[in-house]
Amino acid sequence: MTTYVLHADPGQRHQTARRGNLVHVDGAALHVRALDAHSFITEVGGRPTRIRGIAHGDNIHLQLNGRACLIRRIDPTRAGAAAAGEANGSATAPMPGVVVNWLAQPGCAVQAGDALLVIESMKLQMTIEAPQTGWLEDLPFSEGQTFQRGAVLARVRTEEVAA
Amino acid sequence: MTIKKLFIANRAEIALRIVRTARRMGIATVVPWHVRDRHGPALLLADETVELHGEPPVSAWLDGPALISAAIASGCDAIHPGYGFLSENAGFARAVAQAGLVFVGPPAEVIELMGDKITARHFATRCGVPVTPSADEADAPETFAERARAIGFPLLVKGSAGGGGKGMQIVHEAGALAQAIATARAESQRYFGDGRLLAERFVEQPRHIEVQVFGDTHGHVIHLGERECSIQRRFQKLIEETPAPTLAPELRQRICDAAVRLASEAGYVNAGTVECIVSPSGEFYFLEMNTRLQVEHPVTEMVTGLDLVEWQLRVAQGEPLPLKQDAVRWHGSAIECRILAEDADAGFVPDTGKVLLLNEPQGPGVRFDCGVTPGATVSADFDSMLAKLVVHGATRDLAISRLRQALNETVMLGVTINAHFLGRVLAHPAFQAGATDTGFLERHKADLKPTAWTEDERRALVAVAAAVGRETHANALPEPYASMGAWRN
Repeated sequence: MTTYVLHADPGQRHQTARRGNLVHVDGAALHVRALDAHSFITEVGGRPTRIRGIAHGDNIHLQLNGRACLIRRIDPTRAGAAAAGEANGSATAPMPGVVVNWLAQPGCAVQAGDALLVIESMKLQMTIEAPQTGWLEDLPFSEGQTFQRGAVLARVRTEEVAA
Repeated sequence: MTIKKLFIANRAEIALRIVRTARRMGIATVVPWHVRDRHGPALLLADETVELHGEPPVSAWLDGPALISAAIASGCDAIHPGYGFLSENAGFARAVAQAGLVFVGPPAEVIELMGDKITARHFATRCGVPVTPSADEADAPETFAERARAIGFPLLVKGSAGGGGKGMQIVHEAGALAQAIATARAESQRYFGDGRLLAERFVEQPRHIEVQVFGDTHGHVIHLGERECSIQRRFQKLIEETPAPTLAPELRQRICDAAVRLASEAGYVNAGTVECIVSPSGEFYFLEMNTRLQVEHPVTEMVTGLDLVEWQLRVAQGEPLPLKQDAVRWHGSAIECRILAEDADAGFVPDTGKVLLLNEPQGPGVRFDCGVTPGATVSADFDSMLAKLVVHGATRDLAISRLRQALNETVMLGVTINAHFLGRVLAHPAFQAGATDTGFLERHKADLKPTAWTEDERRALVAVAAAVGRETHANALPEPYASMGAWRN
């Protein structure tokens, strides 16, 4: 029994059990035939349909009718570890890019919605705002530094810290 | 003179595109790479490769002296700049010539003339090519805002040295003008090192129509027809086609004639593109001239059967244009889609990742110019365009059908690409009817959203996910063998 979730819909878990070419998904049985390592035929709406797929760790990248889909295998040994990682008050990068400039200095008081820094990715510039009112604890990336999608760009804390 | 060895001062798909033609012509090629960009197919096909250095990596492709030194050191006699980077940099073109190499492009003076939007507009007016009503800050900086307001709204404020949509602001009312000027100036200063601004009438619902022109060193200038590039997001083209679907033949002729007139007057040599906007009522206005090969040149190649890079190289060698104007023929319809590493459904944000699985679409009338190989890392270091998919058909309907099939077959798993979004645009009735203008994507935003996966589709996807091998390092060798390295006999 293995659990999978669609990246686009993490709330819905799908249980699978596999026996040879037969895969049970949430109780329904589907025949999956491999054409090669990355091409599979299974039924969609009663018709044999080709789906491409490749795994990268626990992520399985698939494509059906020209549309890509990312599915994650839930590894029970690691479940729960990641969920707690995202603390409130952090502004994360919506895309990879580079910091253009800081609009606020760490240590200063900020209001929710205040512009904290400007980032740029390829040809798009955007302003990162304070997610909540408090004081700016940290801007982990300095001007000119690059970051990946999901990186924490700013931390704003609500409670005062004794100086 | 004859070019024997060509240095390609570019990367990714356009480097591959140029290498292909050079090889066909018997010209050896040298393509540069960077430690953070070494997975291009051009590097596999080129006769030689040269490592560039620089941080950020993009700076290596902007370092003219280093590129020229590399070209000389590798024994090249010509440099092709491709598009972007230094392709429209007059100083680079001049330095290449001064180093005794052939620059595959127009002379530096022409790049200078057309590179500045303001002088280009003045020049167009002198050639009898219409331009939109405008105000130039340089004429009288203190009255710029006042003169801009007098043109009327909506108004476009942009950097006079700019391009590619950077530093552009649309202003709908007088109250927003001051802020727009400040923003446009800051962006222009940052991107182009020049904060000088230009304000002009913003034509609503315009079509973007451009004309491919070609000149030689013997004084001939001809056009190879128009392209429509109205499907844009953030002022950047996504889908380009020729012929323009609903352009009246008489208007097409007037636009093409104007483009040739402009290029002739400018003493234009090599490939160039005259960009215009066409209003719903059929007026056309000169926008700018791009003094280089365009990303979308393949659609022109598909309908004319010509190889524009071959023409560029022949002209650079001093040969006359291979065809006279009345010998140029256009057959059928061609459409190009730009395959970008971006999530179109999340506001066109760029994505990064590793190309795990790649399938290039094939078939009659299908051309795929690809800049990545399997295993390539797509980073934020460079432009997000990974490939161009170009199709040809006897009719526009056939070209659309073929393109939709080809998009379905395009696989680049591991990084988010816009292929399915492009397919939805092509499937839209308004696109199919040729009702295209630069506001298309914004206007039809709601229709272009993806539908949720059906229960059946989800089940099938999850079933295949369960069947996909857990490890996918198909070519990975077991460790003891891998550490032995390549076999040598």
